[in-house]
Amino acid sequence: MTPAPPPRPTLPSAEQAGGADALRGGLVSGLIATLALLGLATLAGLALAERGDVAPIALLYLGPVMFAAIRLGLRPGLGAGLLSSLVYTYFFIPPRLTLLVADPAQLITLVVLLGVALGGSHMAKRLHEQARLAEARAGRDALLAGFAGSLMAVTRAEALWAFLATEIARVFDVRVLVLAPDEGGALALVAAEPAQERADLLEMAAAQWCFDGGRATGPGGQVPTASEWLFVPVPGRGGPLAVVGVGHPEAAMPLHGPQLPLLESLLAQTGLALSRMVLEEQAHALDRVQERERLRSALLSSIGHDLRTPLTTVLGTLRALQPLSADQATALSSARAEAERLDRFVANLIDMVRIETGAIERAAEAVDLAEACDAALDHFAPSLLRGRVTLAVADDLPLVMADPRLLHHCLINLIDNADRHGGPDGTIAIEGLALADGGVELAVCDQGPGVPADERERIFGLFARIEGTDRTGGTGLGLAIVKGFADAMGVAVEAGERQGGGARFVLRFPAGLVRAVPLRGVSA
Amino acid sequence: MNTGAAVMVVDDDPAIRALLRHTLEGAGYRVSEAGGAAEALAVRAAEAPALALLDLGLPDRDGLDILPQLIGAGLAVVVLSARDATAEKVAALDLGADDYVTKPFDPEEVLARVRTALRHRARLAGGLGDAERAAVASLVRFGDVEVDLAARQVRKAGHEVHLAPKEYALLAELAQQPGRVITHAQLLRTVWGPGHEGDVEYLRVAARGIRRKLEGDRGPGRSALRNEPGIGYRLDLARD
Repeated sequence: MTPAPPPRPTLPSAEQAGGADALRGGLVSGLIATLALLGLATLAGLALAERGDVAPIALLYLGPVMFAAIRLGLRPGLGAGLLSSLVYTYFFIPPRLTLLVADPAQLITLVVLLGVALGGSHMAKRLHEQARLAEARAGRDALLAGFAGSLMAVTRAEALWAFLATEIARVFDVRVLVLAPDEGGALALVAAEPAQERADLLEMAAAQWCFDGGRATGPGGQVPTASEWLFVPVPGRGGPLAVVGVGHPEAAMPLHGPQLPLLESLLAQTGLALSRMVLEEQAHALDRVQERERLRSALLSSIGHDLRTPLTTVLGTLRALQPLSADQATALSSARAEAERLDRFVANLIDMVRIETGAIERAAEAVDLAEACDAALDHFAPSLLRGRVTLAVADDLPLVMADPRLLHHCLINLIDNADRHGGPDGTIAIEGLALADGGVELAVCDQGPGVPADERERIFGLFARIEGTDRTGGTGLGLAIVKGFADAMGVAVEAGERQGGGARFVLRFPAGLVRAVPLRGVSA
Repeated sequence: MNTGAAVMVVDDDPAIRALLRHTLEGAGYRVSEAGGAAEALAVRAAEAPALALLDLGLPDRDGLDILPQLIGAGLAVVVLSARDATAEKVAALDLGADDYVTKPFDPEEVLARVRTALRHRARLAGGLGDAERAAVASLVRFGDVEVDLAARQVRKAGHEVHLAPKEYALLAELAQQPGRVITHAQLLRTVWGPGHEGDVEYLRVAARGIRRKLEGDRGPGRSALRNEPGIGYRLDLARD
């Protein structure tokens, strides 16, 4: 979402720069108006003097003097006062039509006229000043409000940097660089107006200085530098979040007057907006984690309880039933086998959900691989084992650190896989080997058709089956679980070829997971 | 067979209770049922069963909560637990449960665990130093191996086999409670002493030594010295 541009507020800088011309135009017309008023006052005075009514004439001159003082300032006011005095003296103070003053009391009129000019202009100046300040403050407030409003609409840091660059360039009529720390903490250019790929070394150094010191750095700032750019920090709770550089191709000072405090206000707001974004992002992440957690536990408890409880009854009943005839025995044994398959599938499904949702709990324990294989073989019906499985693990094979439960299910799935793909009479060979690099590998080999070279990665994927080879028994989950559990334990798993034909699945424990056999604890 | 003993089945699923009742009654036990923790405590008080088959996932309270009360009342407890609840099983065993059965269970296995647990209780009830108990328990056989606990001797096919001291201590500890699972921590504490509860590798090496010396001729998956991954060991005398 792109933020709407904020309304263009009146700026102090524009008010000052453009105000000078307006003032000059006003001075000329003001002087003409003053002279005209002066003329009118004199004509009116002459008319009054004809009728011998001299006393209020001096008051007539207050008009032009006040006008000049208020509209045009101190000096034109004083000028108008002086001119009025001279004209009044010339036309109306005896001896008339001279600039001589016969009666010293008449001087009071002159002083009053000058005093009015002084007071009026001073008052007017203060009014002017206040009006100008109020206008500047209103402009500044409007600018800040507009800026804050636009910031609210920005939701990503990248968008914020770009927005900041264009806005500051537009408002202050300067070139802008925005630098923010990357993941490694080093400052990098994240936005520029006009666009540029990178900042010069000099600018980078000044920006870094500003970032480290947290103060405006460069011409016009608190810290002088060799760079022509002024860098101002974007304040955050734990120090600057970013640095904004402003530069002007012609002016020695990129900012002047109240512009620096204004820029600092804008950047303070930017800092707040950034903190808000970070908080929102954290809140979102938390929401996602909680949602996933909720889904995971709902799935696990639903599968774990609602599916397994009836299975427990079915399987238990099938196992307890005593067949009364040969036909019943056959039917019962096949029903039992199917129920066991279903149970294995459910168990695998639960394991897969654990892997996919990252909910595997690990507990490393020293494991004897021969013993672990024994325990895994124990899981299978005795008919599978009789004469078909060989276990070749050296007596002095080192122990490995593994989660006993995860390893147990890896081995069960590998043996199950070898049983299903190795053919009804094929042997299953389990071998444990110490490797030259200090690692240990455990291989489960069958005498089936093997795994084609181009399938050896894919076969560990979810629901992966080799085309045309597996139509019976497999759930498509077993090897994916082996891979998921092995990954969780830091154990490598791969499919290879058995010498003389067949598949060879290997669990490879790196040297870091291997433990030498501690003899002293046993013979003591 | 220990016929006539009273067994309480604690599980919230009626179908599982019915299956267990059928299995246990078929073997001659008297069976009472409870669907939750509170009911289990009430049934225990009313019927004073000798053993509880206790599911840990009860609707009103965690089964682990009432386990100490049941054991304190003198019951043997066999826990019914889900497949992957290794920590839960170890916790129950450390609290004094006799054994566990993993769901979905084989009824034969349930009966074997119940028998073992009741036998173990009967031995404990006999008291230490009891002459009859010593005579019954002093000779333990599996396959062609004989463990003579009184003479501290191990024989294979009639010939004495020399075990390292810790190997013998481990085997003797398991042979005193044949068929019953003993956790890694319990074995390490008894055989190696307090403070060694985490030294699982000692256990592994001793178990390996015992198998090499006594069962070198057994096929894979045939060892009587069975490891329950992540939980403990049991000596399975019925292994062929």
